[in-house]
Amino acid sequence: MSSFRPVTLAKSRMLPLGEPWSALVPGGGLRRGSTVLVQAPPGSGGLSLALSLVTESSAQGHWCAVVGVDDPGVVAIADLGVDLRRVLFVPRPRGAWAESAADLLDGVDLLVVRAPSRASHGVARRLVDRVRERGTVLITLCEPSAPWPLPVDLSFDITRSEWATSARLDARYLTVRVGGRGEAQRSGEHIVVLPNRRGRAAAG
Amino acid sequence: MERLLALWIETLGEERPDGSTLRDYLAVLDALMVLCPFTEPVRLGLLVLPVRAPSRFFGGETAVLDAVRQNVRDLIGCEPSLGVADGLFCAELAAREGVVLPVGGTEPFRRSQPISVLGRKDLTTTCRRLGLHTVGSFADLSPAHVAERFPTPVLELHRVARGELGELKTQRDATLARRLRMERGETAAASEQMGFFGQRGAGDDRAQAAAYRVRQRLGVDAVMVASLRGGRAPEDRASLVPFGSPEFPMGEAAPWPGQLRAPAPAMTLRHRVAVQLIDQGGEPVRMGSRGLLSAEPRSLLFSNHVRHEVVWHAGPWPLVERWWAIDRRRAHVQVVLAHGEAVLLVAELDRWWIVGVYD
Repeated sequence: MSSFRPVTLAKSRMLPLGEPWSALVPGGGLRRGSTVLVQAPPGSGGLSLALSLVTESSAQGHWCAVVGVDDPGVVAIADLGVDLRRVLFVPRPRGAWAESAADLLDGVDLLVVRAPSRASHGVARRLVDRVRERGTVLITLCEPSAPWPLPVDLSFDITRSEWATSARLDARYLTVRVGGRGEAQRSGEHIVVLPNRRGRAAAG
Repeated sequence: MERLLALWIETLGEERPDGSTLRDYLAVLDALMVLCPFTEPVRLGLLVLPVRAPSRFFGGETAVLDAVRQNVRDLIGCEPSLGVADGLFCAELAAREGVVLPVGGTEPFRRSQPISVLGRKDLTTTCRRLGLHTVGSFADLSPAHVAERFPTPVLELHRVARGELGELKTQRDATLARRLRMERGETAAASEQMGFFGQRGAGDDRAQAAAYRVRQRLGVDAVMVASLRGGRAPEDRASLVPFGSPEFPMGEAAPWPGQLRAPAPAMTLRHRVAVQLIDQGGEPVRMGSRGLLSAEPRSLLFSNHVRHEVVWHAGPWPLVERWWAIDRRRAHVQVVLAHGEAVLLVAELDRWWIVGVYD
């Protein structure tokens, strides 16, 4: 007779995604232990996109950490739907961004990292291995000029960013190419509104 | 120095063993907060509020004094002693004497006070032996002579005596704010980050342990936690405090009319960046006193001479808050730059800063 093993449901290996991502990502969630890349030119919505990926998990009680984002816009983050009570910020990790990220991996379920400079292959490798081992989700935020050195499980590439305006900034339309490995390979290009008039993410 | 109304309530000055002192003090504070939101608890028995703004609202200082007196009488049934003067030091003295000093009357009032009001025995004794009996005669000594003869803290008293500083360090009770919060039922434990259903779960402990590890690596203020507080501009509403600090988040219960509406910038700069807005003719764009821009902005110029074309702008939205304080006059402008980046600018006294980036 084979030994009993604890049963892990597929669902508990997934962290939930909010609107509109749940409809755009294969499986409708973020697989624990995976690495997610958000790539965008500076100032074109990469930070908002990365943070919008953690909203649903945060609302359901998961902890997240944000490393290397110098000046987080707390109001915008709260408007997106992130529960601020369960977010740790390490705004200026200086040279130790990878070490801080590794420290935090043991304590949080989602980790948003913006490396201050191009991540080296070795550092990225160690971090990704640790992520897989701990069952965390690593969301790495990069600019096209300093790309993430490893292949990732899921990627969001902002190719176009346009503001809709009235008497003020109303909403931003992002063209996002979703891709990755396995099932995610077949995903395509989508338009999402981020942020919309209420500061949240919505389908375009 | 700001013109202040101080309330001295004798019965609340001494703490009674049954804890009713703090309760009454809190009731008075809350009532005065309704009259003027800038009311400050100084220490038990003493409260202070800036008098200029409420007196415009209520129609004169006498009306404010009457309203305050009436409120205190209704609440705790005793008469407060009220005084009006410039600066907390003189306001307290005026309150203890129950006098309302006319505008410009603070200076002679302070000078006529006995030297003992500065609250230092050695200073009082020495000055009396030298024949200096009043604050004014002490103030006339040159700071160099005072520094020669007395220890450094006395220099601060000397500055208060000369009217260069508004208050003594010893006037405020540093623990009072915390005690008032406890009295309100907002215990220190409430500031801890709570798990689901208010219980601390295993996840919370894990996160806390991780935060402590990062703190050990990078220093105490490396890990921050965020909360929202009241305010109009996004940069005012964000509160980012070091993880584990006892600071209690203010909460966002009250509505704030005139709040800048969503979307808010995903980055609010802790150190705002000075820039220049330039119009078509190459002239700097100014914020007029009526809240209008002097010309259409055409480009944004950084201090390192990098120039970005402005393709769209909206605003200005003036922040009308404590408008009588000239340096508080601010206005926000949203700007979209040529490559699609949007930033939030703030204008203050004809100068411009980037305060947020819509990343």
